Amino acid sequence: MFENILANPIIVVILTILVCFIISTLLPGIERKYIHARIQQRIGPILIAPGIMAPLKFMFKENVEVSSPVPGLYKALPIICFIVVLCVLIALTPQAYQIPALASLVAIVGFLKVEEICYVLMGALSKSVMSVRMPFPDKIKGAVHNNSNLSFIEDISARRSLRMITYGSFPLYLALFAPIVTARSIFLQDIVAYQQVHGPFLFTVSGAIAAFVFFIGYMIILNEYPFSIIKAKSDVIEGPYMEYAAKYRAVVYLTRGFFMFVLGCVFSVLFIGVPPTIMSVGFLINILVALIFVFMMGIFSAFAPVFTNRQLLPTILCTTLLGILAIGLGLL
Amino acid sequence: MDKKVPRSNIIETEIPMGTVHPAALEPYRVRFFVEDEIVQEAEITIGVNHRGIERIMEGLPVEKANALTEKICGICSNSHIWNSCRTAEMGLGIEIPQRALYIRVIMGELERLHSHFLYLAHGCEVLSHETFSMRVFYLREIVMELLAMIGGNRVQYGCSVLGGVRPRCDLDEAKLLRLKNDMDAVEEGLTGFVERFLADSVVQSRITGIGVLPQKQAIELAVTGPTLRATGVARDLRTTMFEYDEFDFNVITQPDGDVKSNLVMRALESFESIRIIRQAIANIPEGKVVNRDWEMVDTDISESYIEVPRGTLYHSYALESGRVRHCIIRTPSMANIGAMQYACIGDQITDAQLCIVQCDPCFTCTDRAIEIIRR
Amino acid sequence: MGIKSFSRARAIHVMLVYTGGCNGCDIEIVNSILSPRFDAEQYNVFLTWNPREADVLVVTGPVTHLNRKPLEAIYEAIPNPKLVVAAGSCALMGGVYKNCYGDIPSEEIEGPVENIIPVNAKVPGCAVRPQDVLAGVVSLLPTLLDAD
Repeated sequence: MFENILANPIIVVILTILVCFIISTLLPGIERKYIHARIQQRIGPILIAPGIMAPLKFMFKENVEVSSPVPGLYKALPIICFIVVLCVLIALTPQAYQIPALASLVAIVGFLKVEEICYVLMGALSKSVMSVRMPFPDKIKGAVHNNSNLSFIEDISARRSLRMITYGSFPLYLALFAPIVTARSIFLQDIVAYQQVHGPFLFTVSGAIAAFVFFIGYMIILNEYPFSIIKAKSDVIEGPYMEYAAKYRAVVYLTRGFFMFVLGCVFSVLFIGVPPTIMSVGFLINILVALIFVFMMGIFSAFAPVFTNRQLLPTILCTTLLGILAIGLGLL
Repeated sequence: MDKKVPRSNIIETEIPMGTVHPAALEPYRVRFFVEDEIVQEAEITIGVNHRGIERIMEGLPVEKANALTEKICGICSNSHIWNSCRTAEMGLGIEIPQRALYIRVIMGELERLHSHFLYLAHGCEVLSHETFSMRVFYLREIVMELLAMIGGNRVQYGCSVLGGVRPRCDLDEAKLLRLKNDMDAVEEGLTGFVERFLADSVVQSRITGIGVLPQKQAIELAVTGPTLRATGVARDLRTTMFEYDEFDFNVITQPDGDVKSNLVMRALESFESIRIIRQAIANIPEGKVVNRDWEMVDTDISESYIEVPRGTLYHSYALESGRVRHCIIRTPSMANIGAMQYACIGDQITDAQLCIVQCDPCFTCTDRAIEIIRR
Repeated sequence: MGIKSFSRARAIHVMLVYTGGCNGCDIEIVNSILSPRFDAEQYNVFLTWNPREADVLVVTGPVTHLNRKPLEAIYEAIPNPKLVVAAGSCALMGGVYKNCYGDIPSEEIEGPVENIIPVNAKVPGCAVRPQDVLAGVVSLLPTLLDAD
């Protein structure tokens, strides 16, 4: 009976997603309590507070009218983000290899691009109370430039996310394409099969460089310090997420933890060759990789200030060059 | 360094921030005029904090007015009450016991330490470097507890009174010993922090060459205090104050006038403060702490300048049958607002708040006496 | 204890609004939340600067004239259930600034905070001690947990 259920691939995928989701809600708590708080020599919140309890709390809050020119779209965006992350995870599971269009790197890159475009839209559509809408007599007699056009702080954030799409996400995509070059296939099935024969891609020279580039790209796409320019506290406060309240904010919180885990799975599929499925012991490796990434990101972000465009450009340039090097080495 | 000029003709858009913003510890409105994320012009609006404290002081008995000056600012409260008492003492010709002067200097220097630590912590916070910020706040806690030990309160201590210091603030052997030990702890912690801070190349790249205030411009804008010294002008009022006659300390300057100079300058000045406190502990004379032997007379306007953590503080008032008349207070941030607006120009908008913070703003001090005409 | 109150007790987002006090309370509160000595996060109190995220609004200062409307706007932006903590004597009763002009009503000071937005908890002190602020926020927990 039980084996029959597990034989059904759809049920396995759903179970995998559920387990991944539950583990992923712990990741923000692990980052906050065991890394940031420990480095800062304090006790920190309980493990479940940032990842599970905060979204639950927001679920029970009353919804408010968001201040946005297109409230419907603005509210839909976090849900789109969540679905995109979900799709990435589904594409990674071995059961999805039956559908080649989904289980290919092109699809994953496409999903990640959707995620990035969502940030731009979020930033452009959020009109929070913290800047222009703050009731303050700005344009009065004696003030400079009484006829300037006004921008919300989220508008800067939208412009920055656009910039991040153009050059900021290069490292991640280059790192994603490095395994393709080695395995000579864009299908995840072939990449996994290649690594099961030849050993993990991570332990080659090209793979090691690409893994480093992937880590930088991982932090950039997660908007973690120091690459959090689109939601830097010192000017744009929270950037694209400013206006989300109640349930939508809960989705934003959940998406973040889930995205951390899914990117860890992307790494373990492309660089170690272990697809996420609860049917094999390899799932432990997926969890381990996700945890290692969260740990590394936590340590890195605790010791770095936010990068402005001045530091961001050279960093991304160097990482991009490294990524090209990794691909070049893979071609040889 | 070329003079930075506000370029109004190429302004693309305006981004207002405030009155509530994470990078600002206090309410103020700032409008950035930007072109492609580069600030071309900035306008800081103060008056948000206006409470009219000089108006309240007018006509109050001088003892009460002294206590009230503490409420001007929660950061440099001791400096205000010190200078206010000093003004009355100068007017009335009160002689202050030597021990009281030493205690006032100790309080002043402790306050400088806590103000500078707050500056460093806030600067790191605006850099979004939470870890460094936490470390400095942790150090600052030692100083805050020393202040609470001497004054009885963590923020407003009410240490100075006319003729000396409150007897509560007298330092006995145990307190002096604790002060001495804690100074060692603070110095050790600060040394560790400064070494880490200067060795962190990421932070250095973030703060070097940002928010430059050239020396010439600083003098033109009449900038005071550490912000001026960070541009290379060795001007410290403590060298002229009679309270500091017996202390040996250096006036720290930094060459560049950028955020790095300002931060390093505060850190180095903290070491000098620790040195002054150590000298005071070693040489503190015996005797009474308050001179009650004086008479209240009517005086002409007397004025007093002292060096407070953020620059030059000026108090002046006349006494009329024991009451304060014609009170004027001029706080350091008043002079530094020009520098804040100037320092932002030409930097990324992410750095703009940092450039404001580097001039050590204290708008609560500043917003007390500007007359707001509302129709 | 239902799942609603269970989750609320484990994640409290606090937002600070300074309305023109002397800075003393502001720094003590920032200190209580940011410094590792008091570390509000160990009680699962998180600092936020976004009104949409906040549950508890901590207000300091006597609410000067120019600060009244921003305070109201921020209060309205917070989704229900929301609670307000007034911290420091200025926020409670206008402090030393309230009687600026004696019997003549002051134009500058709109406070105390109660006159503008409903206050749920009051933390006395000039300046408030970090311990008291934490105690004030935590004392609101029962109200917060039972709210709809």
